[in-house]
Amino acid sequence: MITIEKLKDFGADTDEGLARCLNDESFYLMLVQSAITFEQIDRLCEQTSVGDLDGAFETSHALKGVYANLSLTPLYQLVYELTEQLRNRKNIDYGPLTAKLRERMEQLQASAQ
Amino acid sequence: MKTISRIEKETRKRKILVVDDERINRLLLGKILEEEYELLFASNGREALDIIKSEYKTLSIILLDLLMPVMNGFELLEALEAEKRYKNIPVIVLTSEHNAEIRSLQIGAVDFIPKPYDMPEVIRARVKRSIKLAEENTVLNAVENDSLTGLYNREFFFEYAKDLDMYHNELEKDAIVVNINRFHLVNELYGHSAGNDLLRAVADSVRTLLREYIGLACRCDSDTFYLYLEHSADPSEIAGRLISDIAGRSGLSDVSVRIGIYESCDRSLTMEQRIDRAAIACNTCRSSYSSSYAFYDNELHEKELFCEKLVRDTDKALAEGQFVVHYQPKFNIEGDKPRLSSAEALIRWMHPEHGRISPGVFIPLFEENGLIQKLDRYVWNEAAKAVAEWKKNYGITLPVSVNVSRVDMYDPGLEDELLKIVSSNGLSPRDLLLEITESAYSGNSGQMIEVIGKLREDGFMIEMDDFGSGYSSLNMLSSMPIDILKLDMGFVRKICESDKDKRLVEIILEIADFLSVPVIAEGVEKEEQYLLLKSMGCNVIQGYYFSKPLPPENLGMWLARTK
Repeated sequence: MITIEKLKDFGADTDEGLARCLNDESFYLMLVQSAITFEQIDRLCEQTSVGDLDGAFETSHALKGVYANLSLTPLYQLVYELTEQLRNRKNIDYGPLTAKLRERMEQLQASAQ
Repeated sequence: MKTISRIEKETRKRKILVVDDERINRLLLGKILEEEYELLFASNGREALDIIKSEYKTLSIILLDLLMPVMNGFELLEALEAEKRYKNIPVIVLTSEHNAEIRSLQIGAVDFIPKPYDMPEVIRARVKRSIKLAEENTVLNAVENDSLTGLYNREFFFEYAKDLDMYHNELEKDAIVVNINRFHLVNELYGHSAGNDLLRAVADSVRTLLREYIGLACRCDSDTFYLYLEHSADPSEIAGRLISDIAGRSGLSDVSVRIGIYESCDRSLTMEQRIDRAAIACNTCRSSYSSSYAFYDNELHEKELFCEKLVRDTDKALAEGQFVVHYQPKFNIEGDKPRLSSAEALIRWMHPEHGRISPGVFIPLFEENGLIQKLDRYVWNEAAKAVAEWKKNYGITLPVSVNVSRVDMYDPGLEDELLKIVSSNGLSPRDLLLEITESAYSGNSGQMIEVIGKLREDGFMIEMDDFGSGYSSLNMLSSMPIDILKLDMGFVRKICESDKDKRLVEIILEIADFLSVPVIAEGVEKEEQYLLLKSMGCNVIQGYYFSKPLPPENLGMWLARTK
């Protein structure tokens, strides 16, 4: 189960995230818990691998918003970088960045269990 | 008194629609706002639009994410802008994109909340402020706009027209008034809903114009619209466009408008005066059955002002005796020598400021506004006094004909009034001949027959004036109770020059003969006219050939000589 301490260890700015949730810890943790999923990350990997940069931009943009609102800083930083590259539809190898994102999410998921 | 909806608005929780494809973002905003607001959620523009369709009347604000599947935030903003009913719902855009902020504000968003979200207090404050502004704007709109057409109402129109002058001082302006002809008939024939549709159609045409010209417009007095626009090189083109556009939009084939234009408004005039001038021009459009436009012209206005002054001066003039009654003798020409048989009372206005004013100026004016009744009564009294005076001084009774206007015929007190006048002057009804113009008969002939019948029973003689100028049918003539036909002056004037007029007079004389009524010819100025009329069998002559209209004392002297 995810806790504030575990999130802090992960590198999240929990003070900011909590403040956005009116300092309702359980609500904040519930939101974070629901954000710990590979569904969209998998989609992003798929989209970048097949060159669907428009779709990939939409997915990464959406993830960026969620991670930013929850102040999940390590995830946000990676997804921010991805979004900026995708905004310009740069035809680069997104594999390393998406792999890092997956790795970070795995890390968060592990600490949540 | 507060309306129910206002009370509801003050006590209920405002309703907010949160549109975001990310559930976590929706939940987060919900958490921040749920205490103060009732919340609805949609995960894309399409879902949002469905909710808006059913909830638009009660939605206080929409919080809108931009990048969403199915229908994005920009597309939703455009859809809201395109639909009049949704335009007033404020939208706050949720975005992390600076460029998107600008674009969304340009297409109708009132504010934006950056992502990641500000602190909750900031979000609440921004939402609260946007709702407040929108509600205040709605209240202001309701006050300053005509609810049916969305154009300004009269009061705010004048206020903002002055502002327009202030901000566009360099531009000349045109004032335009548009009026729907016989609008009440549209309501009666097609129903009020069609009437309202027509008013909205006119407003839409006006709005189309306002997209091209700097200016503003309002609806005023039910079916009248005021426009105040930058001066156009060809205002007739504007009028023509309005006419055809309104005809096209209204969908009613028999709808027409009249348009008055006062171009290049004089800046020394008040805004109200400028619109008045356009309204004056509008009133000069003659036809009420086809669309037309007219320009204000100063001469016309001077004439209107003069008429208005005359109307205002009338009561004083009656009290001070500025109206002078003269009497033009009428001669019976049946015998060897013309014999003075009666006279016609003719009125002049000796105005202290404007001098002698012809009845041709003030009679039509008085007929229009009802003052003619006062004037007629004045003449009846003066004439009766004159007849009584002659009778007393010279022992001769000379009947005088007086005019009875069409409007008098509808006055239920007419008979009593006339009887009172003759009796109070010691006269009999035979001494006052009543002239009723031919055109008066054509209105409600049944009513006329009844009123005239009563007057004749009382002993009054009835002269049908200006016969031949109106549209009497032969059928009506046979049933109309009259004692004398008075030939229209127009025939007499040309009787010696035109065979056609001569023949017409012959026909009229034959009709009179058939009806067994004598004929009076007025406007006889020359001997040849007199001799011709006499040879044709005309009974009585009136005109300058025998005498001009005389003051009562001069006619009295004539009577003295006759005696």
